[in-house]
Amino acid sequence: MSGRTLRALAPLVAVAVALVVPLVVSDRFLLKVFTFCGVNALVVVGLALLFGYAGQISLGNAAFVGLGAYTSAFCTVELGWPWLLGFAAAGAVAALGGLALAIPSLRLKGHYLAMATLGFGLLMSLAFLEAEPITGGVDGFTGIPFPSIGPVEFRSASSLYWLVWGCVGVAVLVAHNITSLRPGRAMRALHGSELGAQACGVDIVGVKVRTFVVSALMAGLAGALYAGVVGFISPSLFTLTASVTFIAMTIVGGTSSLAGPIVAAVALTLVQYVDALIPGLPRETAQTIQSYQEDIYGIAIVLIVIFAPRGLAGLWKRRNARNEAS
Amino acid sequence: MDQLLQVLVAGLKNGSIYALVALGFTIVYAATGAINFAQGEFFMLGGMLCVSFTELGLPLPAAAVAAIATTAAIGAVFELLAVRPVAGDDPLRIIMVTIGGAVVLRQLALHIFGPDERALAPFTEGASLKALGVAVELQTLWVWGLTAIAVVALALLYRKTSFGRAMRATAIRTDAARLVGVNTGMMVTVAFALAAGLGALAGVAVAPLTQTAFFVGAAIGVKGFAAAILGGIGKPISAVAGGLLLGLLESFAAGYLDPAYKDGVALVVLLVVLFVAPQGLLGRARRVKA
Repeated sequence: MSGRTLRALAPLVAVAVALVVPLVVSDRFLLKVFTFCGVNALVVVGLALLFGYAGQISLGNAAFVGLGAYTSAFCTVELGWPWLLGFAAAGAVAALGGLALAIPSLRLKGHYLAMATLGFGLLMSLAFLEAEPITGGVDGFTGIPFPSIGPVEFRSASSLYWLVWGCVGVAVLVAHNITSLRPGRAMRALHGSELGAQACGVDIVGVKVRTFVVSALMAGLAGALYAGVVGFISPSLFTLTASVTFIAMTIVGGTSSLAGPIVAAVALTLVQYVDALIPGLPRETAQTIQSYQEDIYGIAIVLIVIFAPRGLAGLWKRRNARNEAS
Repeated sequence: MDQLLQVLVAGLKNGSIYALVALGFTIVYAATGAINFAQGEFFMLGGMLCVSFTELGLPLPAAAVAAIATTAAIGAVFELLAVRPVAGDDPLRIIMVTIGGAVVLRQLALHIFGPDERALAPFTEGASLKALGVAVELQTLWVWGLTAIAVVALALLYRKTSFGRAMRATAIRTDAARLVGVNTGMMVTVAFALAAGLGALAGVAVAPLTQTAFFVGAAIGVKGFAAAILGGIGKPISAVAGGLLLGLLESFAAGYLDPAYKDGVALVVLLVVLFVAPQGLLGRARRVKA
């Protein structure tokens, strides 16, 4: 099969696989694992825009996930809002957080931007811990209701799976439209050379701020979904480690691609739940793999950056280019 | 008055530690134009290795020297294996590789030393010194003394030796340094080793005061960077000033406002300096080194 047909078929195959999963997977825990994959994929789609396309690094996106999760939990539990309203509020608050970080960060790039986002992320995880009246402090939030839209409640494992991956699907469509049109070209120009992009009339300030806000928005919505799926959140979920995990998925997935980061997000999430994925796996083996999970993330970052700076997506494209040439 | 002095002592103690970590950032930045996100892990390795060496039966001074030397060697290997292959073109790649490397170093420490917090015995036993109503732990004097020695030794190395001049030449302009015969590649490796050694020294010196564990690297790394950028990154003297100032700010916030604010201070300082004056208090706006 030529690379071109493969590329045309790939999205259809991906959608088909995503649709089939809940029909063939009967194990509820495994289905939940695939749902978590979707939550992470949603965060990573936002990061793929920010990092993979626009070349802006963020080591603080777990903070936006946390902002979304806490906002939706607070709105539904404390204020008694309907879930959908809390979901929207989660996106709005996270997007505002993104705006608040993006505007003063505009002058920064490279390692300064990385440090600013890292500092912001650490400050937010401190805030989640200390703002006890709102966030519940160390103990976190319990009893967060299941997502519901009007009379429809997403209670069963398969319905939650549909909801989360449905959101991922919408996010991918939005991101695809952004990247294949004018804003996407502006983002890629920014990635290549900021000065060059500016000289060509790209509104680099606007592109940066908008991309930051979109990535924060997606992270916030992912956080709200996570809170609804699990019903419990605590500050230990939204730490620097989580931010590094998200950036690892994005780096491994590759630049200028949405499919690569999503595949990486799913694969690296599954490492954590390897026991659910392979039922016959001896418990000790599973535990060993899990205790080396972060090693895997760290080593993956180092190896990919050294040997395949464009990530899985770059490897895939190179393979296709070679096939077409021969 | 007593409280003021006590707060000053505590601030200058922590500030010395931040200064050492900040010096590590500064040295690597000067040599490569990049921030080493694994700098905090060297601090962690110093403390953890020193604890382990004493547990193996080495006397404390030998364990401390061995821990610092081992960490410096790890710093050099880190540069050769991970940073060297991506040096040059894209600063983003150096950032990413040091982030990944930091995770790997932390996890290695977890697998080797285990998840528990460890403590080191004070360098000299004895009661705290009391003067003017202030108590100063003996270990605090060690921290000050070692920091002062490290800073003076570094200044002498940079100013008085041809090796130090070669390092400074590399920092000013790599290609020009190479033209006059400086082995710039080796200078970068040495810079990483020096930075790792300074971080390890800080980790060793502070281990008797605060416990240490495999996870302490990230937090101290951010504080060290905040100190470096507060002073103005690039000059060793600004790193020291930034470290002491940050230590004092933290200590005053904890002493006079609320201890809960202590960890937030460095983060707020970091963000404010980055957003308002990324060149730092002592630095002047300069060309970004590519």
